[in-house]
Amino acid sequence: MNIQHVNHLVHAYKIAPWRVQRQWIGNVLLVVVALAMVATLYLDVTSQAAIAGREIQDLTASIAASQQVSADLQTQLASLTSARVMGQRALEIGFRPMKSGEAEYLVVPGYSVLEPDILSSVSVPQLSALTIPPEYNESLLDWVDKKIVNAVGGMP
Amino acid sequence: MRQQYANRVRVLAAVMVLISFAIIVQLTRIQNSPEAAIFRQQASNYAYELRTFYPDRGEIYDRSGHLLAGNRTVYEVGVDLSVVRDPNAIAAAISVELGRDYAQVLDAIQNPPEGVTYMVLADFVEVEPAVRLQELKKTYQKQAEEGTAGSLTGLEFKSHPQRSYPENSLASNVIGFVSREGRGYFGIEEKYDTLLAGSPVQAFVPTDPNKAFEIPRVLNGTTLVLTINRDLQAAAEQILDESLYTYGSNGGVIAIMDPRNGEMLAMAVTPRMDLNQFWNYASIYTNASEFNPIISMPYEPGSVLKILTMAAALDSGTVTPRTTYLDTGAIMVGGATIQNWNQEPWGVQDMTGCLQHSLNVCMATLSTQMGAGTFYSYMDNFGLGHLTGVDLAGEAAGRLKLPGDADWYPVDLGTNSFGQGVSATPLQIMMAASAIANGGRTVTPHTLYAMARDGRQYNVPAQFAGSPISEQTADTLSGMLSVSLESEGSLALVPGYRIAGKTGTAQIPVNGFYDNTQTNASFIGWGPVDDPQFMIYIWLERPSASIWGSETAAPVFAEMAEKTVILLDIPPDYIRQGIAAK
Repeated sequence: MNIQHVNHLVHAYKIAPWRVQRQWIGNVLLVVVALAMVATLYLDVTSQAAIAGREIQDLTASIAASQQVSADLQTQLASLTSARVMGQRALEIGFRPMKSGEAEYLVVPGYSVLEPDILSSVSVPQLSALTIPPEYNESLLDWVDKKIVNAVGGMP
Repeated sequence: MRQQYANRVRVLAAVMVLISFAIIVQLTRIQNSPEAAIFRQQASNYAYELRTFYPDRGEIYDRSGHLLAGNRTVYEVGVDLSVVRDPNAIAAAISVELGRDYAQVLDAIQNPPEGVTYMVLADFVEVEPAVRLQELKKTYQKQAEEGTAGSLTGLEFKSHPQRSYPENSLASNVIGFVSREGRGYFGIEEKYDTLLAGSPVQAFVPTDPNKAFEIPRVLNGTTLVLTINRDLQAAAEQILDESLYTYGSNGGVIAIMDPRNGEMLAMAVTPRMDLNQFWNYASIYTNASEFNPIISMPYEPGSVLKILTMAAALDSGTVTPRTTYLDTGAIMVGGATIQNWNQEPWGVQDMTGCLQHSLNVCMATLSTQMGAGTFYSYMDNFGLGHLTGVDLAGEAAGRLKLPGDADWYPVDLGTNSFGQGVSATPLQIMMAASAIANGGRTVTPHTLYAMARDGRQYNVPAQFAGSPISEQTADTLSGMLSVSLESEGSLALVPGYRIAGKTGTAQIPVNGFYDNTQTNASFIGWGPVDDPQFMIYIWLERPSASIWGSETAAPVFAEMAEKTVILLDIPPDYIRQGIAAK
């Protein structure tokens, strides 16, 4: 295949009438594919957000149930260790109330009487719009909308 | 050929465009059709549901972290009338498990009020029967034919917390109780009802998972930590119960306070009630003041009030500890004769002797020497006739008649000086006496040590109510009271500890006259004198074993004080002073 033949093929391709059509088709397909990708991404993000939201709802209910169980157990434990029960158990295993003359006091350097500390459980981070970064709860459209608003708002 | 192909493509493209256009048009039409609006409305009806969030009521702990009031789960059992399949089965199950009347339940399900779709059949159902009912419902569902509802379909269970008191009747007079409507009555439960209950939140909760973050945050009620020491409270209640039996007393109280800061360490009374069965209240108490007599039952305290008279006399400079007087056994005040408790003269006495022998004539002499203005000014500054401000519901102020009042007579100046004709609650006397134990400053008694919410704790600081006497007067009087106890060999003495205190025996007015056979026996004391860490008040009502406080209330004080020094880890004086010397 000589160079003249190649030039002839290139020239024929350049002047082919279907070439423009294919370019159009290619561009349209490119737009369609791009839109499909965005739609897929949007669908994926939305579905993931919905799943996460459902999990949040389930976990919220689970937390409430656990707190209720915890309160139940705490109350049961308090009943089992009440002053009356503990006194009774102490007597049953052979202890008796001490008299003041029987006490021996030792000086322990650095010891100080313990004061009541925070008795409530450590606070659990609560769900709220303020504690969740926007990346985790805004949709693609929200994000685009915010960007447009920011862009417009940012203009002098 | 190429042209034909091009035409086909154009036609195909046009058809595709038309179809696409048709789809878009159809989509738009459906979106904006009347039916779409109906569907949107239906969807929006389910998008949110109105829910009321009831925060868990805050817990109540003693100062060492023992739970005194908590929450436990109970169930509301109801029926969803829209899906009920077998009312008879539901009525039978409720009747068997919850003991409700079968006919009534059946009638309620079959003839509900108009428009009602959900009906509560029973509330505050314990866990066990509720779980059995749930299991029964599941069993019936399994037995039902495929695709059909079980016999108990429609039976609904909603769990919610209910107040629970693990210590039952312990410190019931301090804690109070919560009704099923969630309202606190008496004590801490009433005083801090708003704080404990938290605020119910009514909100539309989104069912859309994408809006899960809109679920409202409901803070539970505030947790309260009391100054009460559970073990000391239990000991006080036990000693009080035994004392009532030993001395044949109708009722009584033992109150223990830290005189340095007003923290109430124990408040034992009789009778007490099991707070988990608060509905027995009416069968236990005849009126509200009996729930916690320490704060709500003023009485004529008798000779324990002499410490206030002596404090006023010393502080005003009317007398010194060494001032002497000749006790003739009687004195005329306001036209009435006042006599000593034994109607005998005691000869020459100094002020310590006045306290040691509890001489009414001496006290009446002091009050008349001070004059009504000075005497009542001191009594007022000590807080008599005023509320102490204790953080418990139902406090009574007592009564201190003042010159100018319609029912005040000149003789009152004499009788008030030894605690007759004046009424005060045990807590008022303790608050007043705290000035003597605490270097001249009265403390405001309180039961709240701290409050905790959302991971933060706020400690309640001590509050001082005033300085009715000087520090020097307080120290002098404490010493006098201690010496007077030791000199008479009081039954209130605690081996190893120097105690200051005073007995009280007050006659009880019956039909307008004092009855010599019925008394209120009291004792107030504190220790160790050089560093007071506890103040104990004993009141025995109408003891039959002896009418005298020195023979009834004083030994109870000693027993209680001995228990207190053990439970509060207070070493005997010689050890404590030895440690301090190092």
